[in-house]
Amino acid sequence: MKTRGWLLLFTAVAALCLLFYVFAPKTGGSVVGIYQDGALVRTIDLAAVGESYELVLERNGSTNTILVEKNAIRVVAADCPDQVCVEHGELRDGASPIVCLPNRVVIKYLRDTDGVDAKAGSAG
Amino acid sequence: MKTKRITASAVLAAAALIIFAVEAQLPPLVPIPGIKLGLANVITVFALYYLGAPAAAAILAVRIVLGSVLLGQVGAMLYSAAGGLLAFAVSALLKRAFPPERLWVVSVFGAMAHNVGQMAAAVAVTATPALLWYLPALLISGIVTGAFTGLCAQFVYRRIGLKKM
Repeated sequence: MKTRGWLLLFTAVAALCLLFYVFAPKTGGSVVGIYQDGALVRTIDLAAVGESYELVLERNGSTNTILVEKNAIRVVAADCPDQVCVEHGELRDGASPIVCLPNRVVIKYLRDTDGVDAKAGSAG
Repeated sequence: MKTKRITASAVLAAAALIIFAVEAQLPPLVPIPGIKLGLANVITVFALYYLGAPAAAAILAVRIVLGSVLLGQVGAMLYSAAGGLLAFAVSALLKRAFPPERLWVVSVFGAMAHNVGQMAAAVAVTATPALLWYLPALLISGIVTGAFTGLCAQFVYRRIGLKKM
């Protein structure tokens, strides 16, 4: 295959990947789940949050500090080197989860199919 | 000749380590876990064509282990290693089918394989399939960064790869 053929192929693959995000389903709802090591450790209904507060998750001496506000949640501090979860900013709808790979933390909106009582209130 | 090969491997491993360390100091380009330029990959694919698969594998292993230890990112080594291993396997296989003039194509497939391996490790470790949401983004980044690093390696190879060892 010529250079142009490969360029076309790779462009097509990239375009397909982009399309995924255009058509990716929105989750809706306001209930987020916080996972650590793959286990759901907390569910928070962001619409029901009154006073904002900070949550500190600890794992093997490493911590992630999560700021919970009304209708917003974000990681404000992490002692992992890459700071990807902090850079991520607020959790937006559209299924893009906040991830901290070094500390194995995932924060995402819950769907009905996540198998938990999504209305489980706001643990604080 | 053997000494020359060992020396060349050591020099390339050192260069890869330096590139890796310097790149790690840069802030993430985009706030998506697992995306980076992967400049050290230039050395890996170059070595693959210049010294062959066994030497390139050794250089990659040295870079991943020493790099993770030196930078204190042992937690991230698992993802690195899973991605690196898959990328290397794919690149080494494709190398048979592609001449040095198509080195960048090998590099693109290698980068995509890296992202798939990385993602598989991340999903396995965190037990969170939701991470797969990022896979298309990682694949796009793999295509772009793979083409870039592949072209770099191709230019280097064109300059100094003629005297094959």
